[in-house]
Amino acid sequence: MSATRPLTITDVYERFVKGTKVPESEWDNTIIPQNISRHKEKYNIKIEENSIIPEDKELINNIFQAGLEMLVDTGFYCQDLGRVLKVTEEEVLEGVKKAPKKLILGEGRDICRFYPRHGNSPVKPIIQGGPTGSPLSEDMFMKIMQSYAQEGIVDTLVNGVMTTIEGKPAKSKTPYEIRATMAELRATKEARTRAGRPGLGV
Amino acid sequence: MTGLNMLSGWTVSGDTIMIEQMPILGGYTGGVEETAICDVATTLASFALFSGNFHLDGPIHIRWGTTMARGTLQVAAHAAAAIDANTDLLLANQYYPIAGPCTEMCLLETAAQAMSDTASGRELLSGSAAAKGVVENKTTGMEARMMGEAAACTAGMKVADVNEILNKLIPIYEAQYTTAPAGKRFEECYDVTTVRPTKEYLEVYDKACATLTDLGLDMSRFNNSGIRVDN
Repeated sequence: MSATRPLTITDVYERFVKGTKVPESEWDNTIIPQNISRHKEKYNIKIEENSIIPEDKELINNIFQAGLEMLVDTGFYCQDLGRVLKVTEEEVLEGVKKAPKKLILGEGRDICRFYPRHGNSPVKPIIQGGPTGSPLSEDMFMKIMQSYAQEGIVDTLVNGVMTTIEGKPAKSKTPYEIRATMAELRATKEARTRAGRPGLGV
Repeated sequence: MTGLNMLSGWTVSGDTIMIEQMPILGGYTGGVEETAICDVATTLASFALFSGNFHLDGPIHIRWGTTMARGTLQVAAHAAAAIDANTDLLLANQYYPIAGPCTEMCLLETAAQAMSDTASGRELLSGSAAAKGVVENKTTGMEARMMGEAAACTAGMKVADVNEILNKLIPIYEAQYTTAPAGKRFEECYDVTTVRPTKEYLEVYDKACATLTDLGLDMSRFNNSGIRVDN
């Protein structure tokens, strides 16, 4: 269940439209680096080279606080409009609170349940198997997707990208793009069926 | 604007919305600490501004184009642990090893990230796009097998123990970055009629499991010995 967030998509659009105009180069080269450095110094964040996963609770909480303040102090940039949206801390935290705490992916006997794990829980994460956007040839697409769907440890799927459709490059902004996308969906459905898991989430 | 237009439709339709973002380590944000802070900020924005149901991360190294370099693992793990400790948000990460399929390096890279993501509290692992996800047909289900089985073996371990193993594992594959094996295409890794992995790939997989077990991650329950192969 996902409650309506304090800021809907149209609210966000309106805020972008009314946001402060900022050149993209200033955002990238000045505002972002300067603000991050300021928050890093404020919270004295230092990550040791041999610390891959943090164990220090104070550091963990400081990184969260620095990230939250970074979003609130800096805002979010829209490249198309060249404008910056501002958001309050209350809006961010309320939006986080109203985000779903559970999801069900897939259908029928092939569903998987998506719950918060917290720390290194003994419950393994959901395994979403797939090429994650890698280019796949038209003739091998279905077989490659089947190779993921048939793995017992895989709980849900993610697609690759079909490079051609009917022998033509699946270029964006051409009619081949949507034909290739539809072909990907058909092939992925067939791959799930051949693997005996027709309800796997994609 | 295209993204907002699509989100406008998806929210009304009741679709499950995944917001993806891949911070670049060494880009505008800078080093590990700075990129981790930015990663937290943009993850929170995914839920507060763009109505995301879950977030797909993917810190990527500006020089190596991988998510499994020491620095990118640190960014992802610190950002995930920070958000995990302070919220109930659903967090995912995606996989881009440098080496191609049917190589031990590719499987070790994948295992390292699976360990790091699992122990830092992430809920979903997505991948794996071997050979940096840019070479046609250089990705197979065997890499997802490693991602899942390494995660299953890591779940519940003490974080200090996971860090200890990672500090032994990462230098093994990072030393091969300039000579990373290109690996094989799907058609060379599987019998394409039966869609079964080749004996060669199963042996490479078992070798990677043995290496990980030697380093302290007990993968023995996932050994492939005795599995029937058709070729």
